[in-house]
Amino acid sequence: MPIIEVEHLMKDFMIAKRETGFLGAVKSLVKREHIKKEAVKDISFSIKEGEMVGYIGPNGAGKSTTIKMLTGILVPSSGSVKVNGIIPYENRQENAKNIGVVFGQRTQLWWDLPTIESFELLKEIYQVSDKRFKENMDTFTEILGLDEFLNTPVRQLSLGQRMRADIAASLLHDPQILFLDEPTIGLDVVAKEKMRTFIKEINNERKITVILTTHDMEDIEKLCERMILIDHGQKVYDGEIAVVKERFGKTRTLIVDLEESPHNLQLKGGEAFKEEASRFWIRFNRDEVSASELIAQITQTHNIKDLTVEEPAIESIISRIYQEGYQDLPEIVKV
Amino acid sequence: MFRFRLYWTFTKKAFLRSAVYRFDVWSRLGSNLIFLLMWGSIWTALYAGREEAGGVSFESMLTYIVVSQFLSGVNGAGTPLWEIQEKVRTGDISLELMRPFDVPLRYLFADFGSVAFYILTALLPLYTVMFIFMDLTLPSAWETWILFIVSAFIGFLIRYCIEMAFGLLSFFLVETGGIVDVFYFAMSLLSGSVIPLWFFPGWLEKMALYLPFQGIYYIPNAIFIGKISGTEILLSLGVQLFWAAASYLLLRFVWNHASQKIVVQGG
Repeated sequence: MPIIEVEHLMKDFMIAKRETGFLGAVKSLVKREHIKKEAVKDISFSIKEGEMVGYIGPNGAGKSTTIKMLTGILVPSSGSVKVNGIIPYENRQENAKNIGVVFGQRTQLWWDLPTIESFELLKEIYQVSDKRFKENMDTFTEILGLDEFLNTPVRQLSLGQRMRADIAASLLHDPQILFLDEPTIGLDVVAKEKMRTFIKEINNERKITVILTTHDMEDIEKLCERMILIDHGQKVYDGEIAVVKERFGKTRTLIVDLEESPHNLQLKGGEAFKEEASRFWIRFNRDEVSASELIAQITQTHNIKDLTVEEPAIESIISRIYQEGYQDLPEIVKV
Repeated sequence: MFRFRLYWTFTKKAFLRSAVYRFDVWSRLGSNLIFLLMWGSIWTALYAGREEAGGVSFESMLTYIVVSQFLSGVNGAGTPLWEIQEKVRTGDISLELMRPFDVPLRYLFADFGSVAFYILTALLPLYTVMFIFMDLTLPSAWETWILFIVSAFIGFLIRYCIEMAFGLLSFFLVETGGIVDVFYFAMSLLSGSVIPLWFFPGWLEKMALYLPFQGIYYIPNAIFIGKISGTEILLSLGVQLFWAAASYLLLRFVWNHASQKIVVQGG
């Protein structure tokens, strides 16, 4: 049975239309016209217990709006949402006990209290037993190293520490579902890696269902098997990341360092799109030509000092999809 | 089910949080004293050596001003209007909808904590000293003290509900300057905090008596200096209770609409 079920979900907002000019300003004092903006139009998906799903899309695609409807702080215009059998907006407080939420952009801890006080407050809010609270604190302290800043007020924490505190706070009441909204934003490489390891661990060991929205494709690549890609309020892809990579990742890049620097490099099946001194970047389609064929072509006329073949990162695939549209997608969309 | 322990935790944490801002306590106490001196001097000048005016002795009038500044200290230590507006603007309040507690109640109980801290560390010591060294009228009967405390507490609740409701109006308005002015006008004048209602022109006194604001300063103060007594006190407490209930309903009404707006319009 799916733990999250979303069917034909829609959300419109009425936005006050700004009139220009003096007359327009006077007019809007008395009567204001509204335009309807469809933030989410007809999205459906279901997520199984224990899944870790990347929910991605460009800015303004409708990600946060969907998440807000799943947490119950937004009522859908139409369609249905069910989270763990509960309709979130009808039963917000009940739903709150089943979910944990982390917003990378803002803390949910109490700004001017020592971190530990925030945790104790959450313990009361969610009625966590003393025993469970201690167990969880011990576990999180061990993995996230909370002890180095437990007595520091939240406002004095570094971003990395604050994010660790925030994610621990979201898990204190053993939620079944965790919503992560850009949990690694602004973190350095090491801190990002630590955060990912932790997310992976709690997903594995506690079987917590995780919905992750992020702009960092590395998060998605390292954490999720499945991704839901949305744009303009609609779902454009829902399925395994590996499939997207397979379909869109046919392009490879061969980078060669040559002993001399020729003016240009003409190759059959490959295109040198960048050069720097004696280093060339050659783009080729894996289905049309193999890397070894290209290398053979080059060695006929030049001596290769060094070479590497790069697979496209999911990042560049996604940005291509954003920019070029989804002409190729319909065949793989699993709705 | 009312989860007292949960809300009580907010009180405890707010108490601790206030301890972090010691400078805030001192500066607030400083401005409280300045206002006290100012209103004390003004009323001394207005009495101009007379023993009594409007049926109230100079000593009682001075007591009224001191008690009024004490109450203003108590009421000012809660979450101020601008902070509620700020929380609306940043979306902090909207996010609290995601928690399993009631938002207006959670702020009320947090206010209990910060107010308690301020009373214990600043107001009580200062005003005790003042009462010892100044010629002020003190209630002789212990019942009056209790009635005063009860009345001041109900007044605090009225003030909280109205201030919170006004603050939440920023969910519906982009510019709230006008609202803030109306609020502070009513809070300082119609409540009788600086000019007791009996000095008002007849029509204004009548109007003020029909409004909730007198319940915040005037009624507890009138009990304290003995301006009203016996059944008059009970009647006034009844009026206060009525306004506490009415302002609570107002707060609920505004909050329901605000949270409805959040969930429909996204805050």
